[in-house]
Amino acid sequence: MLSAIGTHGPTVSPTALLFLHATLFFIAVWLLIKPQRDGNAWLWPLFLLVAIASISRIAMSFIPNVMPVTILAVMVGSKFGVQRGFAFAVLVTLASNAVLGHGWWSLFQIAGWASVALVASWISVHDENGNLSMTQLAFSALWSVPIFSFIVSLSIIDSGMSAFEFGLYLANGLLFDALHFFGNLFFAMWFGQWFERLLQMNQPTRQLVQQESEHVSAL
Amino acid sequence: MMRVPPILVLLILCIPLAQASTETTWTHEFDAGYITTKPLVIDDAVYVRTSGFWTGSDDRPIVAAFDVYTGEERWSYSSQTSLQHDMSPLLFVESGTGPCGEWDALLLVGWNDGKITAHSPEDGSIIWQNQTEVNLLGITGQMAIENDRIIVPTRTGVASFCLANGVQLLEVDTGNNGWRNGVLITEEGYVIGDESGHLHTIHRNGTLSTTYLGEGKIRHAPIDTRHGLFVHMQTDSGSSLYLNGSLIGSVGGSPAIPLMHEDRIYASTSNEWISMLCGAETCSIESIESFRSNGELNLRTNNSTVEIWAPSNTPEGGWGVFNQTSLIRMEQTPFDTYGTAAPGFSQGVLALGNDAGILQVTHYDSPQKKVDSVDGSIVQTIHYIAILGLFLLLCRSFSVHDWSQMMKIGSAFFLVLAIAVVPELSVNLAEKTATQSEVEWDSSWPDEWKQTQVIVFEIDGKERAIGGLESQDTVYELTLLACQELGIQSQVEQQYLGAYLVAFNESAGDGWEFTIDGKRSPVGMSEAQLGESSIVEWRPV
Repeated sequence: MLSAIGTHGPTVSPTALLFLHATLFFIAVWLLIKPQRDGNAWLWPLFLLVAIASISRIAMSFIPNVMPVTILAVMVGSKFGVQRGFAFAVLVTLASNAVLGHGWWSLFQIAGWASVALVASWISVHDENGNLSMTQLAFSALWSVPIFSFIVSLSIIDSGMSAFEFGLYLANGLLFDALHFFGNLFFAMWFGQWFERLLQMNQPTRQLVQQESEHVSAL
Repeated sequence: MMRVPPILVLLILCIPLAQASTETTWTHEFDAGYITTKPLVIDDAVYVRTSGFWTGSDDRPIVAAFDVYTGEERWSYSSQTSLQHDMSPLLFVESGTGPCGEWDALLLVGWNDGKITAHSPEDGSIIWQNQTEVNLLGITGQMAIENDRIIVPTRTGVASFCLANGVQLLEVDTGNNGWRNGVLITEEGYVIGDESGHLHTIHRNGTLSTTYLGEGKIRHAPIDTRHGLFVHMQTDSGSSLYLNGSLIGSVGGSPAIPLMHEDRIYASTSNEWISMLCGAETCSIESIESFRSNGELNLRTNNSTVEIWAPSNTPEGGWGVFNQTSLIRMEQTPFDTYGTAAPGFSQGVLALGNDAGILQVTHYDSPQKKVDSVDGSIVQTIHYIAILGLFLLLCRSFSVHDWSQMMKIGSAFFLVLAIAVVPELSVNLAEKTATQSEVEWDSSWPDEWKQTQVIVFEIDGKERAIGGLESQDTVYELTLLACQELGIQSQVEQQYLGAYLVAFNESAGDGWEFTIDGKRSPVGMSEAQLGESSIVEWRPV
């Protein structure tokens, strides 16, 4: 099924790809339906943000590395925790790559954005009252880039690649990482508050962040 | 409201993308008849002819011109005397001068009643006309231009006429009838086939020499290869492929009109589409695809992309689009049915005609496509203005100590600036950091290869090299040429980012990479430029 590992990763047969997508999708669904104490307050905001992230990623695909997905992964991870953040990463990747193209890299993109959400759940961009901190969000525009970039870059490693060559590959991507950072910063500054309002659209109280943080520690 | 400016900026950056996908289609349905020859797309006009077997009614064959962008009919001309299938493709000739006079641009039409008419492309008016020999039928084959004259395959031989005034300059009767037997111009003279399997060479002084190939019908202009003339002859049991008078293969029946591009001949029959490769020794079939095409084929090249279009002569119709070796897609229209006419192409325009007499023209750019480069510079200008405007706003925010505003403007400014500079900077960086290995001259290579381009393939652990070839501009061109010379089968896909090499000798592995003088290229093979003595190495990843 995974016939070989090369520059672009294994060549995945259509059956294997279908199986992989189905598995990922069910993982995302399981993460979403897993019981929580916060009811369904997160459900529609999450779906809405998945749709926004997927559509904007497709629409902006002609500008490399500029997309609101990373900053949204930060905000979802911070607000709803790593469990929902992981589901967000899976759904956005599956939906947008349906147009942009699936492959070995999809797994690494999911891992990249899920890791960003995971870190965001630790280094929250919300203050103790649950309010969005623009300073923290701007800072997350920076720290999320190396996390995502490094994990996605792992997809190109094969048995013949030396550490030096991988380092060169990472170095060649630094300029695009800078572009990623500026894109993140742009979306954080201009749309951060708007995304936050969407995240809060069904929130009955401000206690949910605390509850979620306690819950996701079991994941 | 503050989100409006950045959204506008991003939308402006989207303009080139939106322009690239603009596509407009119009159709015209003729009242009667088939379209059996390819439409001609010249500048902003499409010229097309109909054919049929006309009895009784007032319907007659038509030649018409349409505006390529709007589909508006500019003119049409109907022959009242040509009553049988008009299969001679239209021929356009630019204005020029020669020993027999001066002529404006002409649309030349050969008719099945033996007439040849030269029309003004502007209004369809007849500039001159003349008559050729008729034996039940008249002109049905592809005509050709030689300097100041048009060479016409007549029913029984060849005639030539002065482009300036239509005066007949030559007429030779071969004694045999021809049908769709286009004419080939060679150094020796004019070559045509006939319905009896003969190949006639009419020398410019009017003398005739004839070769008998075999039992069958030659219904196309022979193709001049470096190994001699290629003929795809229709026979009772199928068809035969002849090269330089020798039989080199037998395939299905009702052959299409073959064509040649670079070192490949493309042919088709009722059973198969055929790609032949002409190597150092001979031409031989390299790949066959199951397909039914019996009329014309046409070729579209775009940068390094080669597409061969073949009308599918089936009830489902459509056009098969092939690369050098295989079918890559079917092009469909809402009106598909039997078809034998090749598509007409020009830059950004595709004209399709079928047996239902329906012409469909699609243009992929706006009518002002010629100003594309101007549009590009406009977008670039707007981009720079956006950078400057955001910078000024940033300065203003700084001056009034509005830090919140400054963060917003600043993020937009740096993003737009980065979008402008990062792609070019990254290419430069990639070139500087590309891994480099020592390129060693292999002592087993002949000295004649020195100071020429050399290409090395490592396929299945074995190295094959060739040098001393004609200098090529890109890795893609050199690779194709070398593969032909070495008999290596290459599979190339034309992808969004350019040509992508899939496999050599059906070995795809994990992919292939090339180096030029030991250095990895930051661009694809169709963009990678070569020097006069570059050494290219292809190795599996």
